[in-house]
Amino acid sequence: MLKVKNVTLRFGGLVANNDVSMEVRDGKITGLIGPNGAGKTTFFNCISGVYTPNEGKIIFEGKEIQGYRPYQINKAGISRTYQIINLFKKMKVYENVIVGMHSRLNSSVTDSLFKTKKEREEEKKAYEKALGLLDFVGLLELKDEPAGSLSYGKQRLLEICRALASDPKILLLDEPAAGMNATEKNELDLLCKKIVERGVSILIIEHDMKLMMGLADYMYVLNYGKLLAEGAPLEIQNNPAVIEAYLGGE
Amino acid sequence: MNLRLKNAISNRKKDLIILLVLLLMPVFLNVIHFEYAFTIVSFIFIYIIAVSGLDIVFGYSGQISLGHAAFFAIGAYGSAILHKYTHIPVILTMIIAAFLAAVIGAGLAYPASKLVFHFLSLATIAFGEIVYQLVAQSPYEITGNFTGFFTDSVSIFGYKLNTYSKFYYFGLFSVLVFLLMKNNLIKSKVGRAFIAIRENSHAADGMGINVRNYKILAFAISAFFTAFAGGMYAHCVKFISPDTFMYKQSVMFLTMLLFGGTASRFGPIFGAVSVLILNEALRATEKYQLLIYGVLLLIVIVVLPGGLYGAYQDVAVKFKKKGVNKC
Repeated sequence: MLKVKNVTLRFGGLVANNDVSMEVRDGKITGLIGPNGAGKTTFFNCISGVYTPNEGKIIFEGKEIQGYRPYQINKAGISRTYQIINLFKKMKVYENVIVGMHSRLNSSVTDSLFKTKKEREEEKKAYEKALGLLDFVGLLELKDEPAGSLSYGKQRLLEICRALASDPKILLLDEPAAGMNATEKNELDLLCKKIVERGVSILIIEHDMKLMMGLADYMYVLNYGKLLAEGAPLEIQNNPAVIEAYLGGE
Repeated sequence: MNLRLKNAISNRKKDLIILLVLLLMPVFLNVIHFEYAFTIVSFIFIYIIAVSGLDIVFGYSGQISLGHAAFFAIGAYGSAILHKYTHIPVILTMIIAAFLAAVIGAGLAYPASKLVFHFLSLATIAFGEIVYQLVAQSPYEITGNFTGFFTDSVSIFGYKLNTYSKFYYFGLFSVLVFLLMKNNLIKSKVGRAFIAIRENSHAADGMGINVRNYKILAFAISAFFTAFAGGMYAHCVKFISPDTFMYKQSVMFLTMLLFGGTASRFGPIFGAVSVLILNEALRATEKYQLLIYGVLLLIVIVVLPGGLYGAYQDVAVKFKKKGVNKC
């Protein structure tokens, strides 16, 4: 579904991603792990259009998408959450979700200025869809609160909900469990599985190995910007190179 | 549900009462022979529209502009000159000039949309200066330069609105139309995109919003509003000169907006009314106008970050809470 081929990204002399290739398979959860500073988030930024890789190709549904701007990537069907929470804090929870639908709403500026019937109907549908999505992630009761007033864990859920609003085919989750307690992590685990059941494939960066073991179907390990290993979670867990990267060699 | 219905009706009632007061005000003012009030009220109407325009770009989209006097000027001179040479009815030239300003606003925003904060304010100041210079020293003296420019009043189906009291209903109608459009816009996909850009432009980009295009759109719509107000000004006063479109006019718009409250439905109204009335009251001290604006801005920034309307809302919320407690 999404294929990344030999992506290299340099910041001046620093090579943040070095010849990375990977694949996100349809209907699967793909994990991406690596020590701090390994280039995971940078890699996400390459896929989501924040950076354009210096070399290599990113192919989504047969189309090369490297060099697309973030809003174009979103429209193409790849949606993301952020490591550092990036909500619209002063907007209400449900408004955040409707902003996520932006690329799927068709009303024009004149429709908006004169509140045409088409626009009103679309807005109503969008609102109902937002409520449905909030119900799906379990935030329905908080729909009218300002997003900034939610707890850390709930803000992370709202980020996922907002990302789902654009009906993506692939969801990129950047450390969704950071700042969550054990209960919330269990809920996140369930939620990810439910999302895959909806037909959305997931690429997830996460530090919590326990969570990843239960969740990921296939894993990639980045270290110093390079792909260190790939395979099923159990293989990764027992891979000496990975253990060395995480715990340090002699 | 019943309660909600009741609330809806009582809200409507409030709107209707306000509208009725506004409709009957001229009669009252005529009865007490207070014609001068019409001048002030006409200006209030004009400024409400101009400041609402600024609110779209500054309050909602978070893009500062210190050059909105330029759009005001384009609307005023554009309409006046167009009317002089083509004899198209004034109301149409006002709309054409406003569209022209929207195009120019988009043209300004196209490069300026890459700028933020002080760089953007510098760029908009420069834009304001350029337009002012063009108006003050125009090629072939098409604008009349410092001598000024006389123009016609608005006429509707041949009926000339040549006094301030006749201008009243036209002004009121325009305000209602523009505020309605602004409200519609804010509560739509476009308005949400504006606010999203203000709140977090990176996330807005990631959520599928073409940030640059929406910034350009915000400038264009904002320019349309302010330029229409400029046209109203020209044909209400029937005389325009470069003095009106100096830098301090842009500061005046910003003062009104901040004083009234940004990103709100009634902020521009509160701001225009309070600052203009204050202006009238302090007419004797015109020399110190800019100083007074400066002090007003300081007060707002330090004491009332939400402006007058924000403060009013805070008080209203408190009263409501008290009421609930009593029950």
